[in-house]
Amino acid sequence: MMSYEQTLSPSAAAGPGELQQALARAASEARRSWLTMLLLLSLLALALPWLANAYWIKSLISAMALAVAAAGVALLYGQLGLVTLCQHALLGAGGWVALRLSHGLQLPFELCVLAAGATSCLIGMLAGLPALRMKGLYLALVTLMMAGGFQVVISATGFPDGGEGWLGRVVGSERLMMARPALALSDAAYFRYVVICLALVLSLIELHRRTKAGRSWALIRRGEAAAVSAGVNILLYQTWAFGLAGFCAGVSGALLAGGVGQLDGRAFGAGDSVMTFALSVVGGVYHWLGPIIAGLLMRAVPSLLSDYNVSGFLADIFFGAALLHALITAPQGVAGQLVYGLTALRRRITGRPA
Amino acid sequence: MVDLLPFLVSGLGIGAVYALSGVGLVVLYRSSGVLNFAFGALGAIGAYVAWSLLDEDWPQWLAWASAVGTAMVLSLAYGRLLAPRLSHRDPTIRSIGTLGFALIVMGFTEWYWGAQPRRLVLPTDAEALEFADVRLTYTRVLGLALALAMMAGIGLLLSRTRIGLKMRALANDRDLSALLGLRVLQVDTVAWVLSGAFAGVCGLLLANIVRLQATLLTFLVIPAFAAAIMGRLNSLPVTVAAGISIGVLEALAITVPGFAPYRTAVPFLVALAAILFFRSDARKA
Repeated sequence: MMSYEQTLSPSAAAGPGELQQALARAASEARRSWLTMLLLLSLLALALPWLANAYWIKSLISAMALAVAAAGVALLYGQLGLVTLCQHALLGAGGWVALRLSHGLQLPFELCVLAAGATSCLIGMLAGLPALRMKGLYLALVTLMMAGGFQVVISATGFPDGGEGWLGRVVGSERLMMARPALALSDAAYFRYVVICLALVLSLIELHRRTKAGRSWALIRRGEAAAVSAGVNILLYQTWAFGLAGFCAGVSGALLAGGVGQLDGRAFGAGDSVMTFALSVVGGVYHWLGPIIAGLLMRAVPSLLSDYNVSGFLADIFFGAALLHALITAPQGVAGQLVYGLTALRRRITGRPA
Repeated sequence: MVDLLPFLVSGLGIGAVYALSGVGLVVLYRSSGVLNFAFGALGAIGAYVAWSLLDEDWPQWLAWASAVGTAMVLSLAYGRLLAPRLSHRDPTIRSIGTLGFALIVMGFTEWYWGAQPRRLVLPTDAEALEFADVRLTYTRVLGLALALAMMAGIGLLLSRTRIGLKMRALANDRDLSALLGLRVLQVDTVAWVLSGAFAGVCGLLLANIVRLQATLLTFLVIPAFAAAIMGRLNSLPVTVAAGISIGVLEALAITVPGFAPYRTAVPFLVALAAILFFRSDARKA
């Protein structure tokens, strides 16, 4: 929404013609930004499997899968200013559904992903209901309590791994791996598959941001009175945003389960949900680049550190400092700073003022 | 009913710590509008300091004092150096800021002391009250007494003293209070130091009752949030009562068939149920 405001604010008053021009400019900028995203992700999908070794390609699969979940957090925080601290729990719920369906019913991978997305979407909507009538801080607390509850349940039940019964747990024999899509059995192919899913989800979110949903969210963020007087259905659009964020988490969980083959019940603590939020803010919540950076921070940076034998705990210190930095001085996150830097560079090269 | 009594008594110990943490959280929220996510991390680093000092045969009282002191100094450092930069933002962002601080403190603690769990022994462990066939160590009794005493003390401080009035004024409207001539930094100092002291004491108790491990203690603040939520981030007596009842319920849940593995979910379930029944004061302005 930032680009609309920047282009519209002073010139909008000048006349209808200029307004049309400004709108057209904003629309073409949005289109260019979307095409850049597709180009960047295609480049990643083509180049990285050649460059990375087996260990790194696994890290990158997880990073891109988590980027899908981060996109959901960024949507809620960036568009509506809402803090959700249960995204990793929703991711776990999606992963559980995907694993259960894959092992129990041998459904095709794509259906498992969609079912996981739909389940987390529903849970996300439920989690969002209190936000309709409470202060923002309480939403953060409600979601944190849900994440805490999920942590307890999932570490007691674990994830399905091909066994009998409702929970699908294997007793005694070896745990089964989730079947990958027939199109993408190797790691490199699966990485491309995940990047394509990420591109689809990011495009879906961009589409929302540029259409009626995005305008309604912007009004709701401005204030409920403003939104109501402009005829926005607050219940519908706020719940929609929560559902979309939950969908992202569910898809992410299914993709992660497909990448690793199984999920570990101990890896879905409330702390992980808190971390997902923190790193999404660090990555940047106003630009599609943000979730990609957040995903890399969550998985690739720890891998990088262990490559260089640096303690992973130092990463926590760095992430904490980065979160404070993002909150205090750089609300657009790393993505915003990168985009700003690139724009400044382009201006210097072409010698053209903005 | 007789066979429930031992669980009830053993739940009092952890309940007291929830209550104490809840009071520590509510005090800071009421006086500065910040919900401190770093509460657990501050307690953890304090407990580690005590552990290290005891390891080098320092006198016990000095080790305990250093633990609380460390938490107070760190809390004050955040409150004076970083929190003011976010003071004009809404409470959610101010609270999320402490999350960054929590990560820094937790990361440092794990990096410096390692992730291996340890045990912190308090002198009050040795003696215990025998009550309904349960040994209630003096540590737990101390926790319970502290929770009640702190609740009363802080309640009086906030409602009866000059500084308490200033704290409430600041939480209500920071700019207006400054305009009226309140010494904002002085009040901030008191609030953050107090909250740090609570964190230090809770850290010591939890490191003893549960175990000494930075990540665990950092995120053990989450069930304490449940107690604070029940008190609507405002009422100290309700927070204490909620903290103790949550601890007791969690212990009683062992007796419910099939529920035992899920019993640590009790704080979250209770808090979620409570939120459903909240009325206007939690609503949007």
